[in-house]
Amino acid sequence: MVAFLGGCPMRKMGLALAFATAVPLSGCVQTRQFADLQFTPPQGDYKLLVLRPDVSVGSLTTGGMVDPRADWTDQARANIIAALRAQQAARGGKVQILEHRNQVPGVTEQEAADFERLFSAVGNSIVLHKYLGDYLPTKRGKGLEYTLGEDAVRLGQKSGYDYALFLHAEDSVASTGRVALGVLGLAGCFVGFCAPNVGGSSQLDYAGLVDLKTGEVVWFNVVQAGSQVPGISFGDLRTPQGSAQMVERLLGRMKPGLAVRRAAAESH
Amino acid sequence: MCVCCPEVSRRSLLIGGAAAAAALTTGVAQARVLPRDMVPLVGPGYRPTEKDEQGIWQLMDRAEEEISGSNLLITDPKLTGYLRDIIGRVGGPAAKDFRIYLAHIPDFNAMMFPTGFAVVFSGLLLRMRNEAQLAGVIAHESGHFLRRHMIRSWRDQKRKTDIFAIAAMAAGVGGAAGGVYLGDYVQLAQLGTILSLFQYSRAMEAEADAMGAKNMADAGYAPIEMANIWEQLIGEDAALSSNWKCWSAPRSSSPPTCWWDFSCKRRRRGSLFDTHPSEGSRMVDLRADAAEVTVPGRQYETGRERYLARIGAIRPMLLDDQVKLNDPGASQYLIETLAQDGWNGLLRFYEGEVWRLRNRHGDDLRAAQSYAAAVAYPDAPADAWRWHAISLMKAGRTGEARIAFTRYLTMKPDASDAAWVRQMIG
Repeated sequence: MVAFLGGCPMRKMGLALAFATAVPLSGCVQTRQFADLQFTPPQGDYKLLVLRPDVSVGSLTTGGMVDPRADWTDQARANIIAALRAQQAARGGKVQILEHRNQVPGVTEQEAADFERLFSAVGNSIVLHKYLGDYLPTKRGKGLEYTLGEDAVRLGQKSGYDYALFLHAEDSVASTGRVALGVLGLAGCFVGFCAPNVGGSSQLDYAGLVDLKTGEVVWFNVVQAGSQVPGISFGDLRTPQGSAQMVERLLGRMKPGLAVRRAAAESH
Repeated sequence: MCVCCPEVSRRSLLIGGAAAAAALTTGVAQARVLPRDMVPLVGPGYRPTEKDEQGIWQLMDRAEEEISGSNLLITDPKLTGYLRDIIGRVGGPAAKDFRIYLAHIPDFNAMMFPTGFAVVFSGLLLRMRNEAQLAGVIAHESGHFLRRHMIRSWRDQKRKTDIFAIAAMAAGVGGAAGGVYLGDYVQLAQLGTILSLFQYSRAMEAEADAMGAKNMADAGYAPIEMANIWEQLIGEDAALSSNWKCWSAPRSSSPPTCWWDFSCKRRRRGSLFDTHPSEGSRMVDLRADAAEVTVPGRQYETGRERYLARIGAIRPMLLDDQVKLNDPGASQYLIETLAQDGWNGLLRFYEGEVWRLRNRHGDDLRAAQSYAAAVAYPDAPADAWRWHAISLMKAGRTGEARIAFTRYLTMKPDASDAAWVRQMIG
């Protein structure tokens, strides 16, 4: 746990983070993406399959536990799907967003489930070795080098899609009690015991893009947002605006791979 | 007047502290929970009505979707139907609502999820000596659901953490309260985190025991079998091979304790029997429960024949899984426990496998004796003949070895090593 005010311990800080540090005691958003060296963000006439978004929203109790909330989760999922549709419409691709596993054309529910589980395992490895600090020396400087293998290619052939996108979002909203606890901590500052940063609402979102022609995970992004001070929010997934903001943070600035960027820089 | 002020505040602080401490302590040294006091708290077709429980149910429905489609499940309808029949007998008012899944995991475990689906590990089926024992475990798990333990435990934890956070803050040790700031990508393993939160207090385990004993007896199963399971478990734990105990823990004069980390066999954590203090007293309570729920004159069954008939087909697989855990002490204990109901070729063969795989000085001879004993039974598996033949070969008794090899090939004509065996026969 990092207990300091207003800052974030990440090396690469996004624009939103710069904003966050400019406003002490505020929320904090971190985002860091990885791409295959040869990755070019899909544009134009591509077919994208969005697997059922994995969403959960809960209430952060006074004591710091997350109480899952079914109604908030349903609301957030609907908002996120709407935001995804709007965002992808602007890119020009043909998109299908799954709400159930049996909706992939030409693919059984079990195959879709296996595909989701495979991604979940690979995604966990990516997070472990790219974000958590267990960096692998053999993967250094190679961008994103992970694949879902032949199964993903077969899924692409059967369903006719070019890309598959996985999306995970979890949000915990500070309860009234948690906010009060923060206020109590802040009030303590006047008597010499200052603890306003008990931790408030927090969000963890990640997305991965799989090229169904090769089976490779070509792009991955994690957005973490949180306020150390309860009561300060930064995009609530329960609102359409909050969801749109999250989708934009996560998918809006999809960067090409390093090799592609270098080539582009050289040609200038 | 003001002289009393510090006095009052100190006292109120003490009272507050005591209240907080009391709230944080789970029951110690409770009296036995009586089966007759155990009334199911849910009726048929129960659905949650409160927000927090609805949230948990939604998450658990997701978990069930994953579990029910897992490739770890044994889906043989003969076995799953058997488990469903049993939970239908001992599940009380929710009997028709329960779902039960059998996972191919060689460990002693069964768990009930908050929405009323249970997962039974295959290792449990190996250890149960009769249907009443299996019904006892299932009745215990059903008891957790019927007494709404998941949501009660969840609310209890919320209350405790709330009190702790406020108390910590008010007491001016606020640093401790900040331990939940995100910075923690481990949240990706969210599902696991959720499951780990459903750990019941000992009071709840006692309730589940009492509720289970009652439902078991009502269904006509011999309630004493629940205490017998516990006795077997204690014995198995004691028999765990020393290399599974905490060999990396600091050496001291105190007896080895099991830290729950990778240096130990992580047994039964968050599971059915996860209350390792006072194992003995739990067994005593279970015996008292059994006496209480037994109606004089009524017939109670153990269902041993039916049990063996239903799980007979997978018993070789269960034994094989256990032996390959490479825990010779526990495997041997288990085999001997099962053999209390009579030795047979299968058990003798796996006894030999335990020695052969342990491979210490003299173990080859022990194994050879077990194989020789195994093939004397009509139910000896083909592999018993194979290893019996190899042992004979090593002992220089080639003539007898050839006969045993031939017997192996007769039983398993398309064995993968048939060519080699034919060559050995010569």
